Amino acid sequence: MSSVLSGMGVGLNAVVAEVFQVAPAAALPAWAKSSAGADAESSVLKTAIAAVAADLARLAASADETTAEIFEALTFLLEDESLFDMATAHMDEGWAAGAAYGMAVNEFAEMLAGDAAFEERIADLQDLSKRVQASIAGIHVGLDLPKSGAYVIVGEDFSPADTAQFTPAVVGVITVKGGPTSHTAIICRSRSIPAVVSVAGADEIAAGTSVLVDPVGDRVVVGGSLADATKPLEFANTGRDPLVEVRANIGSLEDAEAAAKTGAVGVGLFRTELLYLNESSQPSVERQRDLYASILAAAPAGPITVRTIDAGSDKPVPFLNMPEEENPALGVRGYRLIQDHRSFIEDQLKGLEAARVATGREIWVMAPMIATVQEASEFAALARSIGSFKVGIMVETPSIAALVPDLEGIVDFVSVGTNDLSQYLFAADRMNPSLGALLNPWQPGLIRTLERIASQAKAAGIYSSVCGESASDPAFAVLLAGLGFSSVSASRSQVDAVRAALSAVDESQAAALAKSVLAAKSAEETKSAAVAALSAL
Amino acid sequence: MSAFEFTVNVIDPIGLHARPASQIVKLVKGSGVNVLIGREGENLVKANSPLMLMALKIKTGETLKVSIETPDEAHAAELVAQVQEFLKG
Repeated sequence: MSSVLSGMGVGLNAVVAEVFQVAPAAALPAWAKSSAGADAESSVLKTAIAAVAADLARLAASADETTAEIFEALTFLLEDESLFDMATAHMDEGWAAGAAYGMAVNEFAEMLAGDAAFEERIADLQDLSKRVQASIAGIHVGLDLPKSGAYVIVGEDFSPADTAQFTPAVVGVITVKGGPTSHTAIICRSRSIPAVVSVAGADEIAAGTSVLVDPVGDRVVVGGSLADATKPLEFANTGRDPLVEVRANIGSLEDAEAAAKTGAVGVGLFRTELLYLNESSQPSVERQRDLYASILAAAPAGPITVRTIDAGSDKPVPFLNMPEEENPALGVRGYRLIQDHRSFIEDQLKGLEAARVATGREIWVMAPMIATVQEASEFAALARSIGSFKVGIMVETPSIAALVPDLEGIVDFVSVGTNDLSQYLFAADRMNPSLGALLNPWQPGLIRTLERIASQAKAAGIYSSVCGESASDPAFAVLLAGLGFSSVSASRSQVDAVRAALSAVDESQAAALAKSVLAAKSAEETKSAAVAALSAL
Repeated sequence: MSAFEFTVNVIDPIGLHARPASQIVKLVKGSGVNVLIGREGENLVKANSPLMLMALKIKTGETLKVSIETPDEAHAAELVAQVQEFLKG
């Protein structure tokens, strides 16, 4: 008797072990005023901060060096003098110590909000705030993980302070929330701990039950054995060329050099933001030419697709004035910067044209965050007036995805950024840990949108490719070829795996796979349809 | 108390984030002198709180004013050189 829970897998190895449920901590008491007086509350707060600091020091002492540094940084925030001063002000107003510290942390969280660089620090601060309040209330918050044996630990999601407490007995991890880029996923990937995240219902598995953590199958099998684990797909070496061209995604000279050592044909996405993050003023056209020329010269042979600047208030470029926005993902970003920074985008294209002439490379340019056909034609006219480029746009907004036939005669190519297209199609913030399942590229809503983009682009005589994260998954890349895309672009570490998959199938096999995936009704079914088709090769 | 004023440049690609802020506070606390940091023309903050420094939301490419309250100019210059080092990322 076994039941299956689905989620998103992290890693390639499976594991079977008993479940250890991490109990959610008891609720913290509501914030209240105190009759003990500010001095008494102040000494309660000092004692609690010292106790939490001692806990952190104890954890740091038994941790490796990197983890110990995390604890040291947390202690610094915990003992921050201004934080204590703010809490003191609230205690002077009559609030009890726990409430005063919680309020002070909220005020700092508010001051730091809206800046991507501080998001994790805000989470750390709130975690510390809980620990201090729990210490005052006498509530225990440690994970209390077993030190020996072998367990699959199950919890809602794990914070940096939590994952730092993982003992060698943690051989597998399941979380109810979190996506493929959550802290838990990143830590498990780096420590090679098999994990499945975003597993609804995992908190109901009884402690002590044996489970199979099957990351390749994106599932947890209650009562399953290792023999049930999904095997990573392996593709026979046919010696053929891939069904469609496989390009590489790059963002720096180092990436370009590494990509050139793979089988990539050209570059499908050159992210240019990185070149500008270290510049304090707008670089001259000559300087941009030199920066681009060195990267173009190093890139793998084939066309190089360059995306014009994709910055926004969450990814700011120092010398462009980007006011803070309520919703940066929906704000002035990508091509929309042309409203205030036309000369910057023109200079970028001029620098690229000069680098193209200097290196003799074939350059395709594309603009991100295009929402209307007017924007596409405006960008195409601008790019063609500056250089001899093939000109295209990114398809990331649902509005332009609905208008592909109207791009006929306007652009030479379209490239789909599946990460942002998913975010906007599903109205699901990429930064929100509770929404990971909606951002799974195997969602039928995304796949059917991709199918329409590929077939309409083909009918309009427009070259189409996919450069989002999803194209780095070999099985998904075969699906994209089957849907009719002309090329895919993968992260450099995945180029050869994607090439191997696309060399193992012919056109009719890829089309059959796409047909069976399009008939499926959920993210689990689409993926298993693809895996079944590939396993049957 | 005399104070020496300097300017430093934020080169770190993430700006003045948690790590350099903590490094600066550690240095300042260890030195036993008062150090104020901020943007030119704005109120400077005491560099004894990493959170206050982070809350300035200083970005890459900004120039900062550092005011060091000590009679010892050589000591001040030494401190500011280390602050600049922390801001290189």
